[in-house]
Amino acid sequence: MKLTTPFYLHKVGAGFPSPATDYIEDDLDLNTHLITNAPATFIIRVQGKSMREVGIYDGDLLIVDKSINPKSFSTVIANVNEELVVKTLIKEKESSYLTSGSKNITNKINLSENPEVIIWGVVTYVIHKL
Amino acid sequence: MSYTSYNKKNNNIALIDCNSFYVSCERLFNPKITNKPVIVLSNNDGCVISRSEEAKKLGIKMGEPYFKVKDLVKKNSVHVFSSNYALYGDISRRVMKILKEFSDKMEIYSIDEAFINLSFVENERLDEFGKEIRARILKWTGIPTSIGIANTKTLSKVANHIAKKNKTGVMVLNKDIDEELKKFHVFDIWGVGKQLSKLYIKNSIDTAYKLKNISSTWVKKNTNVLGAKTVMELRGIPCVDLETHESKRKSCCVSRSFGKKVENIEKLKESVTTHCLSAAEKIRADDQLTKSVTVFIRTSPFDKYREYYSNSITIDLPIATSNSIELIRAATEGLKTIYKYGFFYQKTGIILSNLSDAKKEEFNLLTPLLETKSKSLMKAIDYTNIKYGRNAISVVQAGINNSWKTRREHFSRIDTASFEDLPTLKI
Repeated sequence: MKLTTPFYLHKVGAGFPSPATDYIEDDLDLNTHLITNAPATFIIRVQGKSMREVGIYDGDLLIVDKSINPKSFSTVIANVNEELVVKTLIKEKESSYLTSGSKNITNKINLSENPEVIIWGVVTYVIHKL
Repeated sequence: MSYTSYNKKNNNIALIDCNSFYVSCERLFNPKITNKPVIVLSNNDGCVISRSEEAKKLGIKMGEPYFKVKDLVKKNSVHVFSSNYALYGDISRRVMKILKEFSDKMEIYSIDEAFINLSFVENERLDEFGKEIRARILKWTGIPTSIGIANTKTLSKVANHIAKKNKTGVMVLNKDIDEELKKFHVFDIWGVGKQLSKLYIKNSIDTAYKLKNISSTWVKKNTNVLGAKTVMELRGIPCVDLETHESKRKSCCVSRSFGKKVENIEKLKESVTTHCLSAAEKIRADDQLTKSVTVFIRTSPFDKYREYYSNSITIDLPIATSNSIELIRAATEGLKTIYKYGFFYQKTGIILSNLSDAKKEEFNLLTPLLETKSKSLMKAIDYTNIKYGRNAISVVQAGINNSWKTRREHFSRIDTASFEDLPTLKI
């Protein structure tokens, strides 16, 4: 997992050196922005449209951190019926449930009624090609 | 004479071992196979090299040839996977990184095992600390582990065996050690190989406890230094240090079994050439040179209808080198002398031995000027292959359509460290 974007400030040449040279630290590294805990972070590709409402489209890459504890409205990867799926977690006073991000309430999975459902990881970023 | 364990206050070693590691990696993105019998096969789908608990219960043995368990697999719908080392390697690196955060003093013992020094942890807190390590690795990577903690490496291995059967997965062996050692078979002790356990059993030393209480003079007389060290370690006296900095390899072996048996010498040449290319690349990456190349070939030992043939030859090189072309030339000559017509070969391999540090190698008067030129060629090849993918530059002799390439019928094709093969979810 290494992505670097080269960052050139000025051409090498004779003449007065750029005063900015002293401030160049390194290439801009997207990893430092997208990944806070490397050993627990996985990149997963998605196929399908069920999570359009939260901004996840067919073919997108998800940055998933397994070390984070999900909050209400976290987008999560969950193990439902022996299958990994992407859902939105909603925590309420009484219980928590998973939805597909749509307002379609009939489509939710109650976590206290389905104790076998396991949260696999929390989606922290989506990489989407325009 | 009886030895009480000598509890050196500040030496605590933990051995962390990933449970059924390859199976656990396959399960990570495939929840359908949790709690089901699963096995992973070695290169070329040859033997069973990792088994889930459920598969162990069916009686599938470690290292058993796949064809021998095929009936069992079919009858019990065991899930079978070809080995996916890219995935296992990436997950292993993650586990090791997490461990390193717990303790700087660490020895990576194998792809799924590591020792770490926990001397800074108070004895009363060791169990809790072990549980914390285990929980973090499980949450962050999805890999279950067993952790054994004791005050020598050998005892931490014993503790790890016990931890495997323990519900919590953690075992601190610092009291009632003798009780555990009495139940522990001598051939399960770390560092006691087949030969040594035969010798011990012949002398009616069948448990770790009996070995621990043997006379030092007897051990020194009848075994070697390592044997004596093992006994000391069982007594709780640390004798084997953690190898914290990676030592460079002393030899480099590359071998493959063929997907389809090969009769033709041209095809064998292709595979030997490919092995030379990857071995040379490996030693160049470590800045090493080799002084000899060994080539070996063999037919299948399981073939009931054809005669078995196996042979090898070692070629000493006049000057230590890491040049792929020189190695290929030597290996090809070697192959020609050991190849026999009429056999159906199953495996070829090469071993580079007598490796030395390239920086320390003195200039030989005979070192031709050409050497520097070929060095820059090798550098250019390595650079191109790193940048544009393996085998972007190769030699023609390695062949283009490798019909002999490895068989991987049950490959999961997931690589968490490559954009081409990322795990995919249908949502």
